[in-house]
Amino acid sequence: MNTAGEPPILEARNLVKTFPGQAGTRAVDDVSFTVGRGEALGLVGESGSGKSTTARCVAGLVRPDSGRVLIGGQDVTRARGRALRATRRRVQMVFQDPYSSLNPRMTVAELVGEGLYVHGIEPDRARRRDRTVQILETVGLGAEHLDRYPRSFSGGQRQRIAIARALAVGPDLLICDEPVASLDVSVQAQVLDLFCDLREKLGLALLFIAHDLAVVHHLCGRVAVMNSGRVVELGGREQVYTAPEHPYTRALLDAVPVPDPAAERARAGALRPVPAHHDPEETR
Amino acid sequence: MSTTTTPAPARSAGLRALLSRTGGERRGHTTVVDRIALGTAGLMVLLALAGPYLAPLDPYAVNLPAALTPPGAEHWLGTDANGRDILSRILAGGRTTLLATVAVIAAATVIGTVIGTAAALGGRIVDEVLMRICDVGLSLPAIVVALGLAAAMGPSLQSAVIALAATWWPGYARLVRTLVREVRDAEFVESARVLGVSRTRLVLRHVLPNSLSALYVQTTLDVSAVMLVISGLSFVGVGAQVPASEWGAMIAASRDTAVTAWWTVLFPGLAIAITAIAFNLVGDWLRVRTDPTLRTGGRR
Amino acid sequence: MSAHPTQGSPLLDIRGLTVSYPTPQGPAQVVRGVDLAVAPGERVALVGESGSGKSVTARSVLRLDPDARTGGRILLEGEDVLEMTPREVRRVRGARAGLVFQDPLASLNPVKTVGWQITQPLRIRGVGRREARRRAVDLLGRLGVADPDRRFDDHPHQFSGGMRQRVVIAIAVIAEPRLLIADEPTTALDVRVQAQVLELMEDLARERGMAVLLITHDLGIVAGFARRVAVMRHGLIVEEADVDRLYASPSHPYTRSLLDAVPRIGDAPGRRLGAPVPATTEGEAL
Repeated sequence: MNTAGEPPILEARNLVKTFPGQAGTRAVDDVSFTVGRGEALGLVGESGSGKSTTARCVAGLVRPDSGRVLIGGQDVTRARGRALRATRRRVQMVFQDPYSSLNPRMTVAELVGEGLYVHGIEPDRARRRDRTVQILETVGLGAEHLDRYPRSFSGGQRQRIAIARALAVGPDLLICDEPVASLDVSVQAQVLDLFCDLREKLGLALLFIAHDLAVVHHLCGRVAVMNSGRVVELGGREQVYTAPEHPYTRALLDAVPVPDPAAERARAGALRPVPAHHDPEETR
Repeated sequence: MSTTTTPAPARSAGLRALLSRTGGERRGHTTVVDRIALGTAGLMVLLALAGPYLAPLDPYAVNLPAALTPPGAEHWLGTDANGRDILSRILAGGRTTLLATVAVIAAATVIGTVIGTAAALGGRIVDEVLMRICDVGLSLPAIVVALGLAAAMGPSLQSAVIALAATWWPGYARLVRTLVREVRDAEFVESARVLGVSRTRLVLRHVLPNSLSALYVQTTLDVSAVMLVISGLSFVGVGAQVPASEWGAMIAASRDTAVTAWWTVLFPGLAIAITAIAFNLVGDWLRVRTDPTLRTGGRR
Repeated sequence: MSAHPTQGSPLLDIRGLTVSYPTPQGPAQVVRGVDLAVAPGERVALVGESGSGKSVTARSVLRLDPDARTGGRILLEGEDVLEMTPREVRRVRGARAGLVFQDPLASLNPVKTVGWQITQPLRIRGVGRREARRRAVDLLGRLGVADPDRRFDDHPHQFSGGMRQRVVIAIAVIAEPRLLIADEPTTALDVRVQAQVLELMEDLARERGMAVLLITHDLGIVAGFARRVAVMRHGLIVEEADVDRLYASPSHPYTRSLLDAVPRIGDAPGRRLGAPVPATTEGEAL
C-alpha cells in the first residue's frame, strides 16, 4: 500500500510531555513512530507507560512540550485555524469508555452526523440523515437507531456508535485508546471483528493503544512497546512476539495468561523463581 | 460488580423527604406530595398570568364603610383597613410578586451562566478575576444594596428587583463554574474536540447542556427564597409601594391591624408560604429526578 | 449439576440459589437457581460476563447485599448462611470465608494504616496487639511486601496497585479462613502484577489448604489457577467441568463461543472472533 515518496499518514517525531507536579519524570519521553496508509500500529504498555498520553498528543488533546506530529506530512503541532481543522479531520479517535465518550444529550443521528455538519461535508439536513444511516450500517447499526439516545444502548453498541461518529468525517487513521478494554469478552470479540472489517473495507489505518498483548497481536501488523514514557521496542508483529529484543517485552509476554491449562501449569513453575517482592509498578 | 466508589449522596432529599411518608426512599418517583406541589406551583403560575382578570372586585377600589370586614359571603377573605377586597388583592398581587421573582432569577441565571462558564473555560487569570468579583457580590447583603438603590433611584419594585439580581448572580456563577469544570474534561467533550467542533459549539452543545441541570434545579428551589426576600423588601418599604397589591407590601400595610383583624395579614402570608413551599417541593422533586446519584438506577 | 466427585462433604455447598433485587418495575431475578460446591482446599472458578450473576452469587455467600432477596441454601461448613442472624454472618466473614474485591483502593480505608486494617480481623477475635502485629508482618512478608515491618505503618495511598491488592489479600486471609472468595481480584492490575498476585494466591491456598472461589470474566487467568470451572450466563450455570476438559472440549455452545472470543497470541491474526450472538445478549449488559 505504501507507495514510495508518499508521506506516512501519521508521523510522531521526538514527542516529549511532562505534566506539572511530576517534574523530572516525563510521561512521554522522546517518542517517535510512523503509521503508513492502511497500516495498523499497536502501542502496548502497562498503566503509566505513557501510551495514552502519546495517543492524546497525536490526537491534539494534549500539547507536547517538544517534538512534532505530522499528518500526511503536514506539521499540526504548530498549525492553527482552518488548515489545522482540515488536516486534523484525517485523524479521528475512539475512546476507552463508551459510557462517557458519547454526549448523553445527543441522539445517534446528531452524534454521528455532527462531523458531517461541522466540517460542512453534508450541510443539507435530509441528506445528512441518509449519509448517517449509511455510516451506521458500516458498523452494524441501522436507521432504526437514529433517534435514540446513548443510554438505551449496551456497551458494545455504544462503542459502535463512537466508531461511526469518528468514521463520519472520512478519516485515514483511527486512534483507538483501549477501545475494547471495558467490554465483555463476547462483545469485545464483535468489536475487534468490526475493526478488522473496517480496515479491509475502508483501508483504514489504526493506531491501536492497548494493554492486552493478545488483542494487539490480533489486530496490528507492527507493534511499539512502551515503558516509562519510552518506546523500548518497535517492530513487526512476528519479530516482537516471537523474538522480542528488549527484556521488558519478554517480561510482558511471559505474564500474558493463556487460555490453556496445560501450558499455564507448565509456565507457572517457570515463573516462580521471580523474587516475590519485586514490584514492577515500583519502577515508575 | 457494584464495587465502584460512588459515594453515598451527601445531600438529603430535603423538605420533600420530610413530607413523604416513605422518607424519600422511593427516589425518582412522583409521590402524592409531589403531585400536590406541582399542581400548586402550576396554579400559582396560572394566577400570575390570569389573576387580575379573576379578581371578583377591583383590588384598588377603596370602600371605607366596608373597612376591616371579616371573611364572609361578600368578601371571602375579608377586607383591609381601606375596605379593599383581600382576595382580589391577593389574586392581583400574585402577578407582581411572581413576575418580580422570575425577573430576578432569570437575570441572575443569565449573568451567572455567562460569568461562570467564562471562569471555568477561560484560563487561570480570567477565572481568578471573575471569582474575586463574585466574592464581592456574595459579600453584599441584598437588603443593603436594595436600601442603597432605593436611596439613589427612589424606592420601587424595580430597584428591589435590580438589587436582588445584582446580589443573586454570584451564587449561580460559582455553581455554573463548578458544574462546567466537572464536564469540560469529560471524554465526550474531548471526543468533540478531536472531531473538530468549534469552541462556541463545544460550549453550547456539549458542555452547557450537560452541566446546567443542577442549575435549573437550584433556580426552582430559589424561587421561594427570592419571593420571600422580595416580599420582605416590600414589607420594609423598599420594594413595591402602596397601594400596589404586592403580597409583602400587603402585609406591611396591614401591620397596624394585624391584632384586631387577623385576616388582613394571614391570607397574604399564607399565599407567600404556600407558593414558597410549593416551589421548594418542585425543586426537590426536580433535583431527585435529574440527579443520577440520588436515583435508584439499574445496577451494573 | 454440582454432583462433582469431591471427597467428603464440601466446604461450600450452594444449592438452588436464587437472588433477586427489588426494582420499580418489580423484582429483577439475577441468579436463577445455582448449584455449586467447593471442596476443602479446592480452587474453583466461576466465569461469566457482566450481568451473568457471578458476583451476586459470590457476594451472597457472605450476604453482602442487604437489598438482595435470596432463596435456596448456601451451606458453609454445613451451616446455612442464609438462615444466620446478622451477628452470626459477621462472625463468618473473615474467619471462615475471606473476601477480595476487584478494586483494592475502594476496599481499603484511606485514613487507617494498612497494619491496623490487616490486624483488625485478629483484634476483633481477641488476639493481642503484639501477637497480631507479628502475624500481620509475617503475612505481609510472605505476600512479597518488601520491608514489611516498616510498611506495616504506611497508609494505603503509599502502596502501588499491586501492593494494595496484596494488602487486601492479607486482610482477607489473616484470620486463616478455610475459604477465600476473590471477586475479579486482578482486573484492575497490569499483566505482570496480575501474574504475581495470582501466583501468590495460589501458593497461599496450597500452603494453608485454603479453598478459593475465583470470580472472573477472564478465561485466560482461570486456566492456570482453577481445577474446576463453572460458566455462568443469565443467572444460571451453563457448564461445570474439570479445567482440562472444559478447555479441551467445551460442551455448551456458550462456553465454546467464550473461548473462541478471546484472541490468543499464536493464533492467526485477524481470525473471526465473534460467533454471531443473538442481540439479546448485548442488551443484557445494560
